[in-house]
Amino acid sequence: MLRNIIHIILICAASLSAAAAGTAQNRGIIEIPAGSYHSVLPEVVGEPVQVAAFRLDETAVTNAEFLEFLKVNPEWTRSEIPPVFAGSSYLEQWQDDLQLQDDRNGNEPVTRVSWFAANAYCGWKGGRLPTLHEWEYAAQAMDFTSAKEADRFSYELIGWYSAVDAEKTGLTGSTGIENRYGVKDLFGLVMEWVEDFKPPVGEDISLDCGTVGRMKGDSSIYSYAMSIRFITRMSFDPASTTGMLGFRCAYDPLPPVN
Amino acid sequence: MKRFMNYLAVMLFIATGLTTVQAQTQEYTIDGMIFGMPEATVFTDDYDGPPVVGDYVTMLPKLAKLDYEGNRHHQVRLDTFVQEIEVAEGVRYRAWTFGGMVPGPVIHVREGDRITFTMKNRSDEMVQINEPVSELLMNGENTGGPSGLDISYEVNEEEFASPYLKQIRENNYMNTQPSIMPMPHSMDFHSGTVAKDDKWRTIAPGETIQFDWVANYPGTYIYHCGTPSVLMHTAMGQHGVVVVSPKEGYETDDRIDHEYVVVQSEYYLKKGAGDIYQYDFEAAQNINPSHVVFNGHQTILHDQPLKANAGERVRIHFSNNGPSQTSSFHVIGAIFDRVWMEGHPDNEMKGMQTVLLGASNSATVEFIVPEEGKYILIDHEFADAEKGATGTLSAGPRQ
Ligand SMILES: [Cu+2]
Repeated sequence: MLRNIIHIILICAASLSAAAAGTAQNRGIIEIPAGSYHSVLPEVVGEPVQVAAFRLDETAVTNAEFLEFLKVNPEWTRSEIPPVFAGSSYLEQWQDDLQLQDDRNGNEPVTRVSWFAANAYCGWKGGRLPTLHEWEYAAQAMDFTSAKEADRFSYELIGWYSAVDAEKTGLTGSTGIENRYGVKDLFGLVMEWVEDFKPPVGEDISLDCGTVGRMKGDSSIYSYAMSIRFITRMSFDPASTTGMLGFRCAYDPLPPVN
Repeated sequence: MKRFMNYLAVMLFIATGLTTVQAQTQEYTIDGMIFGMPEATVFTDDYDGPPVVGDYVTMLPKLAKLDYEGNRHHQVRLDTFVQEIEVAEGVRYRAWTFGGMVPGPVIHVREGDRITFTMKNRSDEMVQINEPVSELLMNGENTGGPSGLDISYEVNEEEFASPYLKQIRENNYMNTQPSIMPMPHSMDFHSGTVAKDDKWRTIAPGETIQFDWVANYPGTYIYHCGTPSVLMHTAMGQHGVVVVSPKEGYETDDRIDHEYVVVQSEYYLKKGAGDIYQYDFEAAQNINPSHVVFNGHQTILHDQPLKANAGERVRIHFSNNGPSQTSSFHVIGAIFDRVWMEGHPDNEMKGMQTVLLGASNSATVEFIVPEEGKYILIDHEFADAEKGATGTLSAGPRQ
């Protein structure tokens, strides 16, 4: 009961904070309370990972939002970004530096952004990229009514990981997938950058045939889907720019009001 | 400051990655076989040329003739990229491929040959394989590359970078269409003997890996993507075979009339959005394939039967690429006169009706075609046969 009340308070705080930010965007920033989750990384076997409270964008950053960033930070436009900070397909969906291709939508998540560009954007917004643990913790705050439902969801998720259509991502907010705090599209739209996408432990695990078997925290399908996510992320290079990779920003908690 | 710290952290990841890869040993020889390949290189470039390169790289069921004496140093490229393909009547999915088809191209070498292998992960690029290379060159900006750079090599009308590209142009039975699905991938050649954490490394979209291996052992070997989930990557289509012909040949070489390659594999597909099928993980985990096929397509070996005549000797390099099932390979109406397990000439058996092969086992089989008529190639595990694992050898009259 107490926990529910706290949730309601947090959700109210989240909407307040979004209003307080006063930016001309229609999406909010959502408070995520402290908690823990089970990682598939072997660094702390059996122990849940503790995650402190933080705030997270409700949806992924869109093309239109990224355009605002480019207008005032031209050093991150296609023509000016140094090659060490982005692959050659950086922002390929843009006709030129500040113009999307005709068939692309401003409300699609921005993709073909490198880790460097995503990181710079979040800094400009007064935030940062979420850490791997923050992102996973938020993504796994899903309420399923039964283990069977969780399995069903996970089977769909694995299917999605094998068939993302990078040419036609939907609009942000369109997946209908939402975590228990109201964060949208953590699954089903694009994959997302995190601050430490290549954790040091990744080198020990190495990416080979047996990795999934060794990674699975438990035998659930949910855990299997998580492994695929970890593995895919670990293969990226910070200059990677692919059509299925976008991002959202995280922020430290607001200071307590007295 | 915070931003700087982030950069620093990422640079550290990269540095860690570089230093933990072991430098490879010097080349050395044991029993006449060569070990100790140079370290693999991983790099980023704007290559958008032919995705399959190699003089002895062909489309199933064909096998290139080795028209050279002794050993050769091959330059082989198989890029990995996505193609929407047909695997049965009305069943299309976005396959993860080596070279654009499932299974990937057949690579033919001789025992003792060295291969310098190059693979670019082009899974984030539209790669066209159903146009001849000359047209691809003329339509420079439609080649699907991100760079739009001029291509520096020259290819005339008749020349292809590999027989495979010519064959797919002439006979694109999977009706391939380019697509995009950026994923990390890798290449694991069972025919190579190397440290997998170096040569079989996973590369990100846009990256290229290059490494050497020597075909130390004769036989037919599968190659596949080894990036986890390996079940998903192989079931999505990333596998093929290398045929390593023995240095001294098989004892029947001068009596062979036809030589083919047949690969068995499984698909785990279900209807996805629209008419496109997609990976069915539940079925894959429960080893309940939707299709079990020869040469990647449910009916291709009936639509385009293997050919021979009565009284001729047919050799088939047969590989069970899985990913998860066994195969009991049999030819209805024939007995295998010789069977070389894994294709190694020392592993000879005679007079076999059926060859049992686990996932990633192969056999080189030979039989004499007794009469004019039809001979059915079949996985004698009939549940698999009824999911598609059959084909036809069509025999003409005795010449
Ligand atoms: Cu792969």
